Amino acid sequence: MSAPLLEAKKVSIRFGGLKALTDFSLTLSRGDLKGLIGPNGAGKTTAFNVLTGVYAPTEGEVVVAGERVNGKRPFQINRLGVARTFQNIRLFKQLTALDNVRIAILPETKRWFDAGRVQALKRGSGVQRALGAALDATDNYRDWWRAFLRTPGFLAEEAVVTAKAEELLSVMGLSHRKDELASSLPYGEQRRLEMARALGTKPNVLLLDEPAAGMNTREKADLMVLIRQLRDQFQVGILVIEHDMKLVMGICEHLTVLDHGETIASGDPALVRKDAKVIEAYLGEAPAHVA
Amino acid sequence: MKSFLPVVAATVVLAVLQLLLGTSEYFVYLTSLVGVNVVLAVSLNIINGMTGQFSIGHAGFMAVGAYVAGTTSLILKDDQLSFLPPAVSDQLFLLLALLLGGGTAGLFGFLVGLPSLRLRGDYLAIVTLGFGEIIRVVIQNSDGLSKSLGAVPGLSLVGSFVGKFGGALGVSGVPQRSTFFMVWFWVFVLVLLARRLADSSHGRWLKAIREDEVAAEAMGVDTTSYKVRAFVVSSFFAGIAGGLFAHFVPIINPGSFTFVKSMEVVVMIVAGGLGSTTGAIVAAVFLTLLPEGLRSLFLQLGGGDASLAQKVDQVRMPIYGVLLVLIMLTRSQGLFGTHEAWDLWKRRKPAEAKA
Ligand SMILES: Nc1ncnc2c1ncn2[C@@H]1O[C@H](COP(=O)(O)OP(=O)(O)OP(=O)(O)O)[C@@H](O)[C@H]1O
Ligand SMILES: [Mg+2]
Repeated sequence: MSAPLLEAKKVSIRFGGLKALTDFSLTLSRGDLKGLIGPNGAGKTTAFNVLTGVYAPTEGEVVVAGERVNGKRPFQINRLGVARTFQNIRLFKQLTALDNVRIAILPETKRWFDAGRVQALKRGSGVQRALGAALDATDNYRDWWRAFLRTPGFLAEEAVVTAKAEELLSVMGLSHRKDELASSLPYGEQRRLEMARALGTKPNVLLLDEPAAGMNTREKADLMVLIRQLRDQFQVGILVIEHDMKLVMGICEHLTVLDHGETIASGDPALVRKDAKVIEAYLGEAPAHVA
Repeated sequence: MKSFLPVVAATVVLAVLQLLLGTSEYFVYLTSLVGVNVVLAVSLNIINGMTGQFSIGHAGFMAVGAYVAGTTSLILKDDQLSFLPPAVSDQLFLLLALLLGGGTAGLFGFLVGLPSLRLRGDYLAIVTLGFGEIIRVVIQNSDGLSKSLGAVPGLSLVGSFVGKFGGALGVSGVPQRSTFFMVWFWVFVLVLLARRLADSSHGRWLKAIREDEVAAEAMGVDTTSYKVRAFVVSSFFAGIAGGLFAHFVPIINPGSFTFVKSMEVVVMIVAGGLGSTTGAIVAAVFLTLLPEGLRSLFLQLGGGDASLAQKVDQVRMPIYGVLLVLIMLTRSQGLFGTHEAWDLWKRRKPAEAKA
C-alpha cells in the first residue's frame, strides 16, 4: 500500500450553530475502494465538500498528495488529483456529452514559462509576486491567442483532448450519446457521464456521491462491476457515498459510518454492520437499509 | 495555412467593397453604425452569453475607447508617414489609436473585473452599471480631473490628455479616418475570435462557468480567472467599437455613452439569444437599421418635415421595450437560442460524409 493520496485529519466544520462534521478522519490511497455511509443528514456530502475545497474546514486539516490544502480553491484541489461527482447531478446541461468530458481535460500546452518557477515567484516578495503574475498572465492570454489563430500546436492539443474524451465516453459505454445534450440523457447515463467527466481530470482519487441513486437493480449490478473496473483500470482510490447496503457491502473494502457528523464506526464492512451503534443509528432512521 | 484563409479572404472582400462603395457617404455611415453595434453586441455576448455573467455597463468601456482613441488621433492629426500614401498612413494611425483605446478599455475591464467577478448575478450587474455611470460622470467633469491629475508629479501628461476630453461639451475635430474597411475588419476579427473561442477548450471553460460554476470549479476550471479574462477581452473590443465610433461621428460627448446605450446592447444580445454570436449579429444589424428605417418613414409621413423624424430617438427605447417583451413572451431563449448559423453547416458535413 502506497502513501495516502488524500487524507483528512480530525476535520470539523460548523455551519453557524450546527456541527455538520466532527473530527472526521480518513485516508485514501491508490487502489483503495472505501465507503462512507450514514443516515440522511449525517454529513456525508459535507465531508466531500470539505475534501474538495467547497468549504474550508473549521478545524483539522486536509492533505492531498502530501500538501495541506485547507483554504485552497476547489479547482486547485482538483488539479492535485481529487475529482468528484455530485449527489444531485451537476452536469453542464446545455452542452453535449462530449463537451462535458472535454471540459474536464486539461490540454497539454507547453508553457513558455516553467509553471513551477512561476509558482515559486508568486510566493515570493512583492516584486517577485508581480513578476510571477505577469508571466502567468502572458502565458494564459497566449492560450487564447493560439485558439484564435488556430496554430498547428493548438489544433494538435485539441485533437488529443477530443480523443481522450471519446475514449472515456467509450469506457463508460456512452459513445452513442456523444453529440447529445447532457440534459437529454436518461438518469443512469447522466450519472455515468458525471463519472467520465470526473475521470477526465486525471484524478488520483475519485469521490462518488450516491452514484446508484435512482438506478434500478440491473443498473446497480452493472455499476458495481464498473466501479471496480475503474479502480483497476485507472489506478485510482475510490470513496463512495451510498445508501444501498447491498452495493456498499458488495464492493467496499472499508467503511466509515457517520451519524450527526460524528464517526460512529469505521473499519472492515463485515464488522461495521454488526456494530451496535451503527444498527441503532440506522434503526432510528431507515431500517430497510440494514435488512 | 488553412487557419489564415478566412482572414485573407475577408481582407480581400472588404477591400473590394471599400473600393466599390467606400465613397458613398450614407452607405459608409450606416454600415459603420451597424458595424460598431455588432462589435458591441458580440463582445458583450462573450461575458453575458458565453460566460453567463450579467454585465450592463458596456457603454462605459466603449466611452473609454472612444475618448482615448479619439483624443490620440486629435493629437496626431497632422502627423504623416511620408513614405506611405496619405490614405494608408491615416489608416495606420487610426489602427494605433484604436489599439490604444481598446487596450485602455481592456485595462479598465481588468480593474473592474478583478474585484467584481467574485460577485454573482445581480450584484455584478449593479457594479457594472455603477462603473458605466462613473465613467460618464468623470468624463463630464474631465476639466476638474485634468487639473488634479496635472498637479500630481509624473501624471501631468495624463492630465493634459484628459484635459482634451472637453467635459460635457465633448471632443470635436477628431479626424474622420474611419472607413468601411476598418470597421468591418474589426467586426470580422471579433466574430472569428468568438467563433473559434467557442469551439476550443478555453471557450468550453467559459460555457462551463455559465452552465454550473460549482461543477466547473470541481473539474479544475479556475472560474475567477476565466471570468476576468472574458471581461478583459470583451472590454477591449468595446473599446475598439468606441474608438471606431469616435472616428466617424462629428463629436463625441458623454451623452453618447449613457445607461441607455448599455441597455441597447443588452437588448440586442437578449433578443438575438444569449450565447449565440449569430443572434447578436442579426439583432445588432436589425436594431440599428430599425431607427434609420423609422426615420425615413417618419420623414415621408411628415411630408419632408424633419421635426417628426427627429422624434425617432424618443420612441426608440419604448419600441425596443415592446420588441423585447414580445420576444420574451414568444421565444424566451431569444431568436437563435444558443445556436449558430455555422453549426447548421457543420452538422450537414458529417451527414454528407456518411452518404
Ligand atoms: N451550506 C450549508 N449550510 C448550512 N447547513 C448545511 C450546509 N450544508 C449542509 N448543511 C447541513 O449539514 C448536515 C449534513 O448534510 P449533508 O448534506 O452532508 O448530509 P448527507 O449525509 O449527505 O445526507 P443525505 O444522505 O441526505 O445526502 C445537514 O443537517 C445539512 O442541513
Ligand atoms: Mg448527501
